[in-house]
Amino acid sequence: MDFALLRDAFWGLTFDGLALGAIYALISLGYTLVYGVLRLINFAHSEVFMIGTFSALVASGIMGVKIEDDPRTGWGMVFTLLICLIAAMLASGITAVLVEIIAYRRLRQRGATKLATLISAIGVSISLVELFRIITDSLPREFPRIMDKTFLFSYAGADIRNDKVIVIIAAGLMMFALERFITKSRYGKGIRAVSMDESTSTLMGVNINKVITVTFLAGGMMAGAAAFFYILVYENTSFKVGFFLGISAFTAAVLGGIGNLKGALFGGFVLGILETYTSAVFGTAWKAVISFLILVLVLLIKPTGLFGESIQQARV
Amino acid sequence: MADKKFRYNLRDHAADYWERSPKWRRVSLSISFIAFFYALPFLNNPLINTPGSDFQSVLFYPVGMYVLMAIGLNIVVGKSGLLDLGYVAFFAIGAYTMAILGTHTSLNFWEILPIGIALAMVSGVLLGTPTLRLRGDYLAIVTLGFGEIVRIVAVNIEAIGGPRGIAGIPTPPDLFKAKFTILDPKPYYWVLLTFTLLIIWMVRRMAARRPGRAWDAIRQDDDVAQLMGVNTLKYKVWAFVLGAAVAGAGGVLYASQILSIVPDQFNLNVSILILACVVFGGIGNLWGVILGAALLAFTPERIRFLSQPRILVFGIALVVMMNLRPDGILPKKKREHFDPNWKTVEESGEGEIK
Amino acid sequence: MTEKLLELKNVTMKFGGVTALNEVNLHVNKGEIAALIGPNGAGKTTVFNVVTGVYKPTSGEVNFNAQSLIGRKRYQVTKMGIARTFQNIRLFGESTALENVVTGADVHSKSGVVGAIFGTPRSRREEAAAVERGMELLEFMGLKHRAGQLGKNLPYGDQRRLEIARALATNPQLLLLDEPAAGFNPAEKVALAATIRKIRDAGYTVLLIEHDMSLIMDISDRVAVLDFGQKIADDVPKVVQNDPRVIEAYLGAPADAS
Repeated sequence: MDFALLRDAFWGLTFDGLALGAIYALISLGYTLVYGVLRLINFAHSEVFMIGTFSALVASGIMGVKIEDDPRTGWGMVFTLLICLIAAMLASGITAVLVEIIAYRRLRQRGATKLATLISAIGVSISLVELFRIITDSLPREFPRIMDKTFLFSYAGADIRNDKVIVIIAAGLMMFALERFITKSRYGKGIRAVSMDESTSTLMGVNINKVITVTFLAGGMMAGAAAFFYILVYENTSFKVGFFLGISAFTAAVLGGIGNLKGALFGGFVLGILETYTSAVFGTAWKAVISFLILVLVLLIKPTGLFGESIQQARV
Repeated sequence: MADKKFRYNLRDHAADYWERSPKWRRVSLSISFIAFFYALPFLNNPLINTPGSDFQSVLFYPVGMYVLMAIGLNIVVGKSGLLDLGYVAFFAIGAYTMAILGTHTSLNFWEILPIGIALAMVSGVLLGTPTLRLRGDYLAIVTLGFGEIVRIVAVNIEAIGGPRGIAGIPTPPDLFKAKFTILDPKPYYWVLLTFTLLIIWMVRRMAARRPGRAWDAIRQDDDVAQLMGVNTLKYKVWAFVLGAAVAGAGGVLYASQILSIVPDQFNLNVSILILACVVFGGIGNLWGVILGAALLAFTPERIRFLSQPRILVFGIALVVMMNLRPDGILPKKKREHFDPNWKTVEESGEGEIK
Repeated sequence: MTEKLLELKNVTMKFGGVTALNEVNLHVNKGEIAALIGPNGAGKTTVFNVVTGVYKPTSGEVNFNAQSLIGRKRYQVTKMGIARTFQNIRLFGESTALENVVTGADVHSKSGVVGAIFGTPRSRREEAAAVERGMELLEFMGLKHRAGQLGKNLPYGDQRRLEIARALATNPQLLLLDEPAAGFNPAEKVALAATIRKIRDAGYTVLLIEHDMSLIMDISDRVAVLDFGQKIADDVPKVVQNDPRVIEAYLGAPADAS
C-alpha cells in the first residue's frame, strides 16, 4: 500500500481520474437510457463499446495512419481524429440498434420473462466477445498515435496532458448534446414518456418501437464516443476491453441511481476518481476488485443510488 | 386434453407410464437406471466413444462435472429464477480449498470435502444476503463481478501460487477397493455419480415440499410471494447457498483429480457454459437440465471440430434458443390432473401420496 | 363494545409530489364486513398497500390488534394475520390450484429447507397439514375439482375464488379483498356475496374494496368513502348512500365512475 503516492500526486491522480470518469460516464449513459425505457440491463452494452474501439482502429488504418508514423499536426490531425470519432460512434450506434433487434425485440413482443431476455442479451455479448477473440487471435491491438501528447501546464504538481483535457471537454459536450436531445427533441420526449409510464405513453400515441430504437442508438453512440476517447488516451484495445469497462460503467450508473441521467454522469466521475486513487494505493491489479466492492457497498447502503432512481418502484 | 392424440409427446408418455407403474416397477426401473450409469465407463460403444480423448476421462470431466454443476445452478436459476453469472466462483472456492489444505495440511480428500462445501456455502451467504434483496438484474451483474473477482484475487495472491496456481494436490485415499490415481478416472466418476444421485434426491425432496413451493412463488411473482407470507430473502439465500454447496463439492473433487489448478481455469466461460447447459436443457426441469448438460459437455468431445469456436456457438445458441424456444429442449411443464381425488403436490405427479 | 382489529391513524402517503392518501383515519372492527369505496384513483388500493407493508406511509400510524404494522416486512404482516387478494388477479399461474393454496398455508409451518431434505417428522407432519388445509379451502371455495389444474388455466371466476382461497390459507384474522366482484355477472355476484358472508361467519373479518354498490349495500356492516386520498364518509350503508358529499364525489366525476 502506497499512501505517499496518493498524497504526492494527488492532483495529478484527480485529473487522470476525471478523464477516466468521463469515459465511464459516457458508457454508463447507455446503461441508464436503456434501463429507463426497458427496465433491463443491456448486457451487450460493453461489447457495443468494444466494437467502437475496433472501429476507431480500423478508421485510423483507412485514413492511412500507421503505428510507426509521427503524430499528425494541424487540420490534418483534427480531420483524422474526427473521422475516427464518427466511425466509432456510428459503428457502436448501429451495433446497439442491432443488439436490440436481435436480442430484445422478438422476446419483448412475445412478452418473454426478464430472465429469458437477459440470457438472450448475454448470448449476444458472448458471441461478440468470442467473434473478436477469434478475429484478433486473442491479442491486444495497438492504436497509432494520431495526436502528439504534450503537457499543457502544471498545476500543484499535476501535469495536465492535452489529450485528457480534450477527452474531458469533449465528453462534457457530448453529454450536453444528449441532454438537449432528451429534453427538446420529439424522440427525446418520447424516451422520457416511456421511461415514466409505458402503457400510458402508448395510449398517447408514442411509437414504442421507434423510441426504443432511438434509445439504443443514442446510448450506443455515447459508448462509441467513449470508445474513441478511451483508445485515444490508452492507445490499445482487445476483445476483453468491454468487460471491465462495462462493469465499471455499470457500477457508475448504479452509483448515481440507474435510470437517472445526471446520476450516471456523477457516478462516472466519482468512480473514475476513486478507482484512480485506489489503484495508486493498492496497485492496478486490484482495480477491478475495488470497483466491485464499491458496487456491492453502494447496493448495500443505498440500493437506489446516490441520486435515486428516477423511476418509481413497480407498484403492487 | 382433447388434442392429446395429435400432440404426442415423449415426456408426457414417459410420465404417464411412470405414474401408472406400481411401486415394484418404479424401484426396479430406478435401480437398473442407476446401475447403467455406474457401469457406463465400461461401455465401449463406437457411437459414444470420443476420438482424441479418453472416454472414461470425458465421463468425469466435462460430462459428469457439468451435469453436477448444472443441477446445482438449476436450483438458483431454474427453481428460484435468480440469474447467477458467477457460479464458477463457488467451484473455484471448492477447488482452492482442496488445493491449499491438501498441499499444506495432512487432511485427506474426505476431510477436506465438508470444509470446501462449508466455505462455498459461507461465501454464498456473504454474497447473497446483501445482493438478493435487490432486483434480479442487479444480482446478475454482481455475481458476474464476483466470479471474476475470485479469479483475480487468486491471480494476485502469491501465497496461493498467483497466476501459476497450485500443483501437487493429493489424490483421495483408497476407498474400499477403489484406488484413486491419475491414471484411472473411473473411481472419480463413481464418486461424482454418487454425489450427483444424492443431490438429485435432495433436490426432488425439496421441490415437492415447502422450499419448492416457496421458490416457485418467488420465481413467478416475488411481491405476491412476500404478501402470501413467504420470507423471500431467506429462501433466495437458501437457493443460492445450496447451489454454492454443489459447486463447492464439485470443485473439491475436480481439484483432487486434476492434481494442479491455475486461476484461469475458473474464468467467466465456465459460468456461461453451465448456464448454457441449464437454459439449453430447459430451465427448471431437472431431467432437461441433466440432458442439456450431458449433451453440451459431450458433443464438443465427440465432434472435435466444434471445440475451438464452441463458446461462440454457445453464445449464438443462447440467443437463438431464447428467441425460438425460450423454455429449452425439455421444458419445465406442469402436468395437469383433472381427477378430483388427486392429492399430491409433486411436480411430475410422482412421489408420495398423502 | 366493539373491538378495533385494524386502525389507521392520520395516514398520509406521498409519491414524489402526489399525495395518494391525506390524513386518513380508518378502522375495521373485529368480525365485521367493512367496505372501502370511492372513485378510481381515490387511494383505495393504496390503503391495502400501506396495511400490507408494500408501502411505508409518509406519516401516520397503522395498528393491528394494537400492534404497529409500520416498518414490518410484508411476510411478517401476513404472519400476523392479514391476507389479501389483488385487483388484477395475481395467482402463481405456473403452479396448480392446490399448490397456490398450500403456498399460503405454509406460513404456519416451522420447518424449512433442512426439514425438507431430511424428511424430519415435523416436516412431514406440517406438509400433510398444509396440504389438508389447502384441500379444505379449495372445497370451501368450491374449487376441489380444480386442485390439479394450473392457476393460469382456470376460468376467470375460479381464478378470483382461488385468490380468496389462497389468502384464507394463511389463516388471517383480517381478509382484504380488492374488487373481488370485478368482471362477475349478477348471478356470480350474488354467489360471491354469500361466500363473503360465509367467510365472515367462519370467524374472519373482511375489508373489501368494491365498485358494485348493490353488493356493498347488501353485505357491508360499514362503508368508508375515499375521494382524492381523503376520507369523506364512514358509516352504515344507509347513511353513506344518502350523504351528499358521497353523491357528489361519484356524480361529480362521471367519467371515473365504473
